[in-house]
Amino acid sequence: MNVSDILFYFLSALAIGSAILVVISRSPIYSVLWLIVTFFAISGHYIMMNAQFLGIVNLIVYAGAIMVLFLFVIMLINLNTDAKPQKGKWLRLAGTVAGGCLLLVLVAALKNTEVKGMGVQVGTGDIGLINQLGKALFTEYVVPFEISSILFLSAMVGAVVIGKK
Amino acid sequence: MSNEQLLALLPFMVLAGASIVVILMIAARLSHTAIQVAGFLMLCFTVLAMGYVRDILPQEILPLFIIDGFAALYTGVIIFSVGVVGLLSYIYFEEREENPKEYYILLFLATLGAAVLTISRHFVSLFLGLEILSVSLYALIAYLRNRNNAIESGLKYLILAALTSAFLLLGMALFYMETGSMEFNAIGQKLAGSDPGVLFKLGLALMVVAIGFKLALVPFHLWAADVYQGAPAPVTAFIATASKVGVFAVLMRFSLAVNLQQSEFLLNVFSGIAIASMILGNILALRQQNIKRLLAYSSIAHLGYLIVAFLPGTREGIEASVFYLFAYAITILSAFGIVTILSTRMKDAEDLSVYRGLFWRKPLLAAVLAVSLFSLAGIPLTAGFFAKFIVLLTGANYNLWLPVIVLVLTSVIGLYYYLRIISTLFASAPAAEPRHKPLHPFFHFVTYATLFVLMVMICVLGVFPGPAIEGIRQFLMIR
Repeated sequence: MNVSDILFYFLSALAIGSAILVVISRSPIYSVLWLIVTFFAISGHYIMMNAQFLGIVNLIVYAGAIMVLFLFVIMLINLNTDAKPQKGKWLRLAGTVAGGCLLLVLVAALKNTEVKGMGVQVGTGDIGLINQLGKALFTEYVVPFEISSILFLSAMVGAVVIGKK
Repeated sequence: MSNEQLLALLPFMVLAGASIVVILMIAARLSHTAIQVAGFLMLCFTVLAMGYVRDILPQEILPLFIIDGFAALYTGVIIFSVGVVGLLSYIYFEEREENPKEYYILLFLATLGAAVLTISRHFVSLFLGLEILSVSLYALIAYLRNRNNAIESGLKYLILAALTSAFLLLGMALFYMETGSMEFNAIGQKLAGSDPGVLFKLGLALMVVAIGFKLALVPFHLWAADVYQGAPAPVTAFIATASKVGVFAVLMRFSLAVNLQQSEFLLNVFSGIAIASMILGNILALRQQNIKRLLAYSSIAHLGYLIVAFLPGTREGIEASVFYLFAYAITILSAFGIVTILSTRMKDAEDLSVYRGLFWRKPLLAAVLAVSLFSLAGIPLTAGFFAKFIVLLTGANYNLWLPVIVLVLTSVIGLYYYLRIISTLFASAPAAEPRHKPLHPFFHFVTYATLFVLMVMICVLGVFPGPAIEGIRQFLMIR
């Protein structure tokens, strides 16, 4: 087992563990903080696949901008301890059972799948480098690139419509 | 990208441009009337552009899009529905106190999203189209914020749609893991000749969650009634027609590319969904007193009928599904048109009591509603009958006996609640209320005329469906 294997298992465990903590934390602030840890772990995965640019962008956009936004929103809503979400016992039970069933089905389905030699190329891939990414975005994928700007436009108009006085 | 490819995208660019035009008109503080007229003209331009580019079809824009006759047909149904929704919207929103102008931006953007779905042959364009459609719909559903359940239904749709998007993405990732490609045809070639693997089935199962949610198929239908009720009536008409047409088109294209229907197992899954939708949709509608909720349940059942046409996965199936969607769009648009026009300032006309004795007060509206309900029920001489008939015929030709029998039996249940509404229309009228002078006589006339034209189309399609079928065949040749 070399260093990159150890790093991979460490980052994966960190990502999964902190993602679970996001869901089960009682206070939304803790959830957000654990989510930041998750994003850092995922960025670590990107860097291991030699996709430094994607890793850094992931950090700047998600851990930087969006999480700060989350924190501000939680601060502005001013949640105090009384305003805990009311969840019934049965609802929780149903959720656990449904989620557990999904887990079982996924495990049962995936246990015999072999990934036909399509393992991740650790440290040698070049798809996440800024040069490759720019070429892909502005040649082959230029139309979806433009369409995603329309997606942002619709999100923006929607937010303004719902949010204005 | 060559000139011709760019030209083939012209209708979609006009649609995107329409939303920018509306934004600029709002910035210039033009009136609602001007925006409505400009929006209608832009839709006309889109139709003209579609006619203009018809001769250079089919065009492939590798690896993302294919613009062929199939896409043109579904896009045509979407544009037609949006045109009608736009015409119905004027009176509805003019009489609300809130500012109606931004509505048109979102409507055009949602249309663009649905239209992108019809031409996509790659998961990237599928996802982008689906997200444009859903993001615009969140805002459209919650547009009248001061209503009681507008925000509630908008939020319900937001949370569930975001959840199903996550399922869709995981499904796509599994497809990629199995085949190493995100393009429909490449996936189909990889899978050709071998039984689909576990990863493929799992990915498809996750994708069915997302697609089933958008089409409101059982068991992903729980949002339908609440969202249909909470959304403004024209938006409900949009959800019932344009958004479902787009999603169904991409489902059809994907299943044809990967030969979904060849697999016995997957065929059984889809027939199960169809049968459950037909039965549950019709049974839930039986005792419903709220007409918007009733139409929601009936749309669940109708999408179940449509899946029966999807099951064979052949050219006849496509023809039947296009005709069915067209007939269904006309019918449901005229039904929601009546709901829109009878809505008052404060409340949508959703309670069945509003419709009591409508025939004695407003005979034309009652006639339109009655014809559209007959068509939904599938009574002969209406478009709905013929649409159901060719779906049945396709199903029977391919020996899909169980779904076909369920279709016939559930149609009989459906007849009960449609006739219940129709009998309400002709019940003895309450005392006549004082007539209001319409605020906008011209637009009232336009709305009535639209509804009348829709009614005539239902009847014509029911009596002479031949030319329409022939047109659909010719378009499907372009491939």
